[in-house]
Amino acid sequence: MTPDFGLTADGPGNDMLDAASREWLRQHLFNEVPVAISVISPDFRIVEGNRRFTEEYGEWKGRECYEVYKGRSERCKRCAAAETFADGKIRTREEEGTYRHGGKSHYLVQMLPIIQPDGKIPYVIEMSTDITQVKKLEHEKREAQRLAAVGETVAGIAHGIKNVLMGLEGGLYAVNTGIEQEDDDRIARGWMMVEENVTRISNFVMEFLDFARGREATVSMADPAKPVREVVELFVERAAQSGIYLDVHIKEGIASAPLDEEGIHTCLANLISNAIDACTFSERASDHVVSVSLREEDGVLIYEVMDDGQGMDYEVSKKVFSKFFSTKGSDHGTGLGLLTTKKIIHQHGGQISFTSEEGKGSTFTIELPRDDLPELEPDTEKKGDQTSSEPIV
Amino acid sequence: MSSAGGTKKILIVDDEPDVVSYLEMLLHDKGYETVSASNGREGIEVAKREKPDLVTLDVSMPEASGTRFYKDFRSDAELASIPVIIVTAVTGYGGDKYGYEKFLSGRRLVPPPDGFFPKPIEPEPFLKAIAELLAD
Repeated sequence: MTPDFGLTADGPGNDMLDAASREWLRQHLFNEVPVAISVISPDFRIVEGNRRFTEEYGEWKGRECYEVYKGRSERCKRCAAAETFADGKIRTREEEGTYRHGGKSHYLVQMLPIIQPDGKIPYVIEMSTDITQVKKLEHEKREAQRLAAVGETVAGIAHGIKNVLMGLEGGLYAVNTGIEQEDDDRIARGWMMVEENVTRISNFVMEFLDFARGREATVSMADPAKPVREVVELFVERAAQSGIYLDVHIKEGIASAPLDEEGIHTCLANLISNAIDACTFSERASDHVVSVSLREEDGVLIYEVMDDGQGMDYEVSKKVFSKFFSTKGSDHGTGLGLLTTKKIIHQHGGQISFTSEEGKGSTFTIELPRDDLPELEPDTEKKGDQTSSEPIV
Repeated sequence: MSSAGGTKKILIVDDEPDVVSYLEMLLHDKGYETVSASNGREGIEVAKREKPDLVTLDVSMPEASGTRFYKDFRSDAELASIPVIIVTAVTGYGGDKYGYEKFLSGRRLVPPPDGFFPKPIEPEPFLKAIAELLAD
């Protein structure tokens, strides 16, 4: 039996199904779709159910929806059916349930009103699709991504360590052959190589540990411009020494936001430091500009660091955010900077992206939607500093 | 090539100064002459100027990477026939030390490298491979 939803067959038109076919479709679709469908009356009784619904929830005739769906003896606190009866809107949400034979299940539940021409809503249709398998796949995919990240990390560590090892072996070779050949210069050179690489490996280990441990993010109401000003102050001299002008643009009147100030400071410091390096490595000798800006667009805080340095070729740009990737050779960084930056930005519910052109420069953009920013601890709510647009440089 | 019957010249392309020093010492001790470059772009310039008899090539370097160098090198009529030995710390999937060699050898547009040594190298097989490639 199928409900009459008040649809009236107008009879077969030229490009319409005939009434019999429509009826057949309605009956079969209703019963054969892999979705449990029930029709609920305003007093929350189930007045109709399709085959799948009957299979999953058993006998339903004359029983209340909360009893059949949830095994409750009274109405649910947030009743989607009641809401749809009230406003006629379609609702979709995910819910957890339990299979009759046990085990957790996930459902995508949709509430659809049946609206009569006079606007009255005599019934609401509840459709629940079992998405347990989809959820399981999602979980497996996340797990696989996590494992892949661990694998990449290990490969990155191995890469760094292998170069250090080769340096150590080189040092040992120089010392050993220096002794054989009674060549003091060679011994001294070898010993220096050993010392340097022991220092490098110690630094490596310290940085790995710092990264692995991470740091506790302290969120407070803060002036989003403050870390920009602080970091610029920190780098102004280093930039000037390399002939780079540090340009700052902070839009006026940006309100305080719940931020991990120290985290944002770290991110900006990493980006500015990279931008300065990119200018230093550039073939063009002088007159470089690194520009740092902060603005807000549609409730999104946007930090931007732009340089006119060497830019990145395709291969490098593919690897920018991957673990321990560094193009800077032995004297600079471990390749953790951008990875740490990405981690902090994600902790803020934000995104980091970049554009780059080889030989022309790169722009890194941090976007922090206010709606996704972390929540404040109850007792840390305090007014941030007054926002200002004073130029620093 | 550059040195008819005389000293063979080897170009070392690597951004790690200690690796360059180590390879220089190893090769000088075997009587080879060396020149070096710290990135792929410089590597091509030095190769054209110095006409080496063999190249040892690192893969991950600033500016132009080793992969880029290899492709440019192999498609340059002047340089294409010079043997190239890859010396790299790049690790393939699952810790495969030879992963990068398989990657390069799988490219249809370029011939595979003439030798492949994961870092840290074992000096003896490394020197042996060079001696064989240079004995003609």
